[in-house]
Amino acid sequence: MATLTIKDLHVRIDDESGHKEILKGVNLTMKTGEIHAIMGPNGTGKSTLSETIMGNPRYKVTSGDILLNGESLLDQPVDARARAGLFLAMQYPAEIMGVTNAEFMRAAINSRRPDDNPISVREFIKQLDQNLALLDMNEAMAERYLNQGFSGGEKKRNEILQLLMIKPSFAILDEIDSGLDIDAMKVVAKGVNSMRGDNFGSLIITHYQRLLDYIEPDVVHVMMGGRIVKSGDAQLAQKLEAEGYAGLRDELGLDIKLTDEN
Amino acid sequence: MSRKKAFCELSDLQQYSQQLNEPALAWQFRQAAWQATLTAPKPDFAKINYRPWATLNGQLAVDSTTAEPVESSAQISQVAGRPVQINLSAEAQAAGVEALDLVAAWQQWPDLMEQYYGRVLPAASQQLAATHYATVNSGVVIRVPAKAKLTTPLTLDFSENGLDQQLNSQHVLLIAGADSEFSILETRQTLGDQQPSASIVEELVLLAGAKVRFAAIDQLALTTYLARYAQLADNARLDWALGIMNEGDILADFNTDLNGQGSQSEVKAVAISTGSQNQGITTRITNYGQHTKANILQHGVILSDATLIFNGVGHIVKGARGSDSQQENRVLMLSRTARGDANPILLIDENDVRAGHAASVGRVNQEQMYYLMSRGLSKDLAERLVIRGFLGSVLSEIPAADARQILTDTIERKLIDGQRHRDRAQ
Repeated sequence: MATLTIKDLHVRIDDESGHKEILKGVNLTMKTGEIHAIMGPNGTGKSTLSETIMGNPRYKVTSGDILLNGESLLDQPVDARARAGLFLAMQYPAEIMGVTNAEFMRAAINSRRPDDNPISVREFIKQLDQNLALLDMNEAMAERYLNQGFSGGEKKRNEILQLLMIKPSFAILDEIDSGLDIDAMKVVAKGVNSMRGDNFGSLIITHYQRLLDYIEPDVVHVMMGGRIVKSGDAQLAQKLEAEGYAGLRDELGLDIKLTDEN
Repeated sequence: MSRKKAFCELSDLQQYSQQLNEPALAWQFRQAAWQATLTAPKPDFAKINYRPWATLNGQLAVDSTTAEPVESSAQISQVAGRPVQINLSAEAQAAGVEALDLVAAWQQWPDLMEQYYGRVLPAASQQLAATHYATVNSGVVIRVPAKAKLTTPLTLDFSENGLDQQLNSQHVLLIAGADSEFSILETRQTLGDQQPSASIVEELVLLAGAKVRFAAIDQLALTTYLARYAQLADNARLDWALGIMNEGDILADFNTDLNGQGSQSEVKAVAISTGSQNQGITTRITNYGQHTKANILQHGVILSDATLIFNGVGHIVKGARGSDSQQENRVLMLSRTARGDANPILLIDENDVRAGHAASVGRVNQEQMYYLMSRGLSKDLAERLVIRGFLGSVLSEIPAADARQILTDTIERKLIDGQRHRDRAQ
């Protein structure tokens, strides 16, 4: 069993407009075998949290810690965190010419294995075919250049395909449902559900409760103003759907301005 | 006006010509070229200051070694300064392809030599060309007859000679007959570790309707002036795919003249500069004929303290109505001490045309790096994959799978060497 711990995490982003503190003390512990969901209004730091856990160099941790099985990841670059067991399904995956999807996934798998023991072609193709079938993806997708010219939905499916091939301990899904129609969302959910088990945990970031109808979470967290303000079970998501974020804020007596609020 | 000093005495040159057993016609040409070295201007390549490094170095001497021929699987192979080895494929022979050593061509094909030798890149046009024709000591002439169609590439394998201090000066002349269709796969490398300079000129003449694909993988180590010059008659088409993977300092001068109506040419070139080498590459296509089409695509990568300059020159002359000239030049710099430029030059003297260009000098895309690394790939591997994509446009144009593999492996090796050098420096 693996554990991912976020301790009093403060994160800043530096851009043209100066320094902006986005996360203001996030605490979260999750274990493999669990599915957590983070919900929250726009601009509240959900994507910042996922990118910071993964190690995107654009985000600066000013205090707090991120620990995997008790060891801090803060000094580890993104590739080391990935090999340690983290995976981030991104909102906007990069497009890369000249590198096929299949070749990339093999390189990713082999980066976790000793140099003298790469995955056999046969085994790789077997797993690839199974996962393509599970996700209703065309075999030709594997030979296309990485995300090059993919539609929004194809990119999301491709993120889940990589997840299934790489088999991380913890997968963070950053708004995997955005831009997906209901059929595509069901396929994505099927992929994630197929990973469920004692050796896999997931942190699902979403605006809407809808995705959680298909991937039932064990824990739901609500984030507002750069903090987790409430945690609960799957019912919390349904309550939010009914009452909205403003309702919860007022109930908790928080002084936070929501980005999309007039 | 003070008279310039010649690089050698005319009497020495005459002796040299005699040692090479050249007929009188060849000697006359050589003598005129020697005269031109005194009067022709130095060629000018924008932003490439080659004078400090591209110097003439080596002795004018005839190779008297009786060394065993260098093994090559190519149909035509040559070590500069030595006789050419010709071993045409059955298909090429059946199609009537012929090839001769340069001296033999002067003896057996004097009319052809008078008509074509030194016509695409004239000796009097500039000093490096003049010096080449004055010093040429080896070469090959290839004729592909009209309407010949080859399904497999004509393979050429040429080596610079760094086994001694003899000046390298090699010439290739290729005549593609009317409506012929074939591809060429040329590999160039260097033997030995001596450092004479080299001058290589290739002239390609495409007669009406000829369609040629010319792929080359250059891995030269000597300081070299490398000229590839082509002229196209009506409706001819020439597609270049050039892998410029040299180790030494190179002044590359690639020039295509679209003389005939409706002729077209595309140049796809990739280059990697490493260590402290200089590579200055000027690719020019000139639209003379009406309704001609030119496209230049050059992508390069620079590591360490190396320099790589890409000039792309698209020139549409007055009267070339309905012509098109496009180009894209991009350079990626992988170290802070790398120097590079991507320099598009469009010269348009006619109104009824289309032309366009794009250029960039930049660093590896950080979003792409982050994405690849987020799946566990190391920084160096991620960087090589991004670069491979960046150079991929030429790779896919190489006609033979094994040659494609050679180029892929060469790119990989150069990048790994460059990354090691950088990682040690940090």
